[in-house]
Amino acid sequence: MSDARAVVSARGLVKRYKGMCALDGVDLEIHAGEIVVIVGPSGSGKSTLIRCLNGLETIDAGSIRIDGREIPSQAREEWRLARQRIGMVFQDYSLFPHFTVLRNITLAPIRAGRLSPEEADKTARRLLERVGLGGYANAYPAELSGGQQQRVAIVRALAMAPEVMLFDEPTSALDPEMIREVLDVMRQLSSAGMTMAIVTHEMGFAREVADRIVFIDRGRIVETGAPEQFLRSPRSPRLQEFLAKIL
Amino acid sequence: MELILKNMPLFLQGLERTFVLATLTLLFSTVISAIVGVMSVTRFRILRIVALAYVEFFRGVPLIVNVLFVYFGAPLVGLSLGPFQAAIVSFTLWGSANGAEIVRGGFNSVPKHQIASAMALGLKPWEIMWFVIGPQALLPIIPPFTGLFTLLVQATSLGAIVGLTEFFRTGQIVVERVTIMTGDNPAYLIYGFVLFTYMAICSVLTSLTRWLELHIGQRRGRDVRRGPAPLLPASRTVESV
Ligand SMILES: Nc1ncnc2c1ncn2[C@@H]1O[C@H](COP(=O)(O)OP(=O)(O)OP(=O)(O)O)[C@@H](O)[C@H]1O
Ligand SMILES: [Mg+2]
Repeated sequence: MSDARAVVSARGLVKRYKGMCALDGVDLEIHAGEIVVIVGPSGSGKSTLIRCLNGLETIDAGSIRIDGREIPSQAREEWRLARQRIGMVFQDYSLFPHFTVLRNITLAPIRAGRLSPEEADKTARRLLERVGLGGYANAYPAELSGGQQQRVAIVRALAMAPEVMLFDEPTSALDPEMIREVLDVMRQLSSAGMTMAIVTHEMGFAREVADRIVFIDRGRIVETGAPEQFLRSPRSPRLQEFLAKIL
Repeated sequence: MELILKNMPLFLQGLERTFVLATLTLLFSTVISAIVGVMSVTRFRILRIVALAYVEFFRGVPLIVNVLFVYFGAPLVGLSLGPFQAAIVSFTLWGSANGAEIVRGGFNSVPKHQIASAMALGLKPWEIMWFVIGPQALLPIIPPFTGLFTLLVQATSLGAIVGLTEFFRTGQIVVERVTIMTGDNPAYLIYGFVLFTYMAICSVLTSLTRWLELHIGQRRGRDVRRGPAPLLPASRTVESV
């Protein structure tokens, strides 16, 4: 039986694409307040895993529990409601280009009936202020830099007051000088106690914020551990090889 | 010129017919195009198949054949359509098939990650369609739709072959009448007038939609950079969230 405090828990996840096994029996639990960083080589299944955790991908075997409740892949409506409690930030920010920054942020909480338009407006402006984008409420995404767009994307997810945030390489599409401003925002979330699963190649950041780092290779979790032990004394040869390449 | 003025009441009558015909055709075609276009991108297989079959069928039939088939074929299925109804039905069937294809293209031009990020926010499928995908599909749809509209306006002249006295047909009637009465054939003059009138209608249509396109596309350009005040580094403004 899984720990009751696990916000998200995956058991024996298998995901195949036309016979190719992208995930091959993955177990992962994310507990309340915990920060799990997921690393691994390109094509190892990191994105697939994180997309399975909020039901954006259907799974071929295994189970996913959100707050202890299993949600089957075909339960579309249940997954939709679960996603209102799971924030997600993608590599390519994917803001809605036809809406202003403000509307991007307020759309979901208003539609979901979480906030009245006035409350949503206030919440959005307050959050924007906190990520240093106070003056940008009425700008359009195309008018912002990549780093600014990514911060708006984070705010958009936060506006739903999620229990957990999933990040899929949030800084990979950014220029170096913009990476820091996004990581700073994530650090703030971390110190505010947000539960997070983060796919990233930023090992310095991982060491700093992670409670646990998970190494995934060819669809399997090969090694997992606390940052210090994980980075300093990796046990499996594949992780040693991976770390040697990226550090 | 005198000839045209003398026959003005007749021309105006024809023009009115053409106008009503075109307006109704465009209206119905737009609505049905939207419905069939959305059907062709839903996740429901049956709806997709029905939509694609409809589009394939009517796009493959020459409009003139379609008009005659609807007019003469309607009684076979127990309907009796006058020339006016037959014209509207056949233009709409043809226009919607082409329009639906344009709508489908518009939807497909919206990047897939837009759907993923809308889903990740827990929006309902219809909300994703209405708030996120639909508005983004609209812009690329406008230019080809303008083309379709002008084609449909021109197509209304085919109403003449099932005996509809629309603008083009009144032109023909005037030519015949004048030829019989005066012995002169004013065909080049009358048809010239008819030609210019159609051209005028279509260019009004085109400029209207161009305005619409500009209006919608205004601040969404990829390269606009006119953000407000310069940005403070996030680290200095972020407190706890
Ligand atoms: N929609 C898809 N259709 C077919 N194959 C896919 C699809 N998505 C992912 N894959 C395959 O599944 C495997 C895992 O992909 P995934 O995107 O999860 O890797 P990743 O670890 O996120 O890689 P990266 O670091 O490049 O983002 C890859 O081999 C990829 O080619
Ligand atoms: Mg990836």
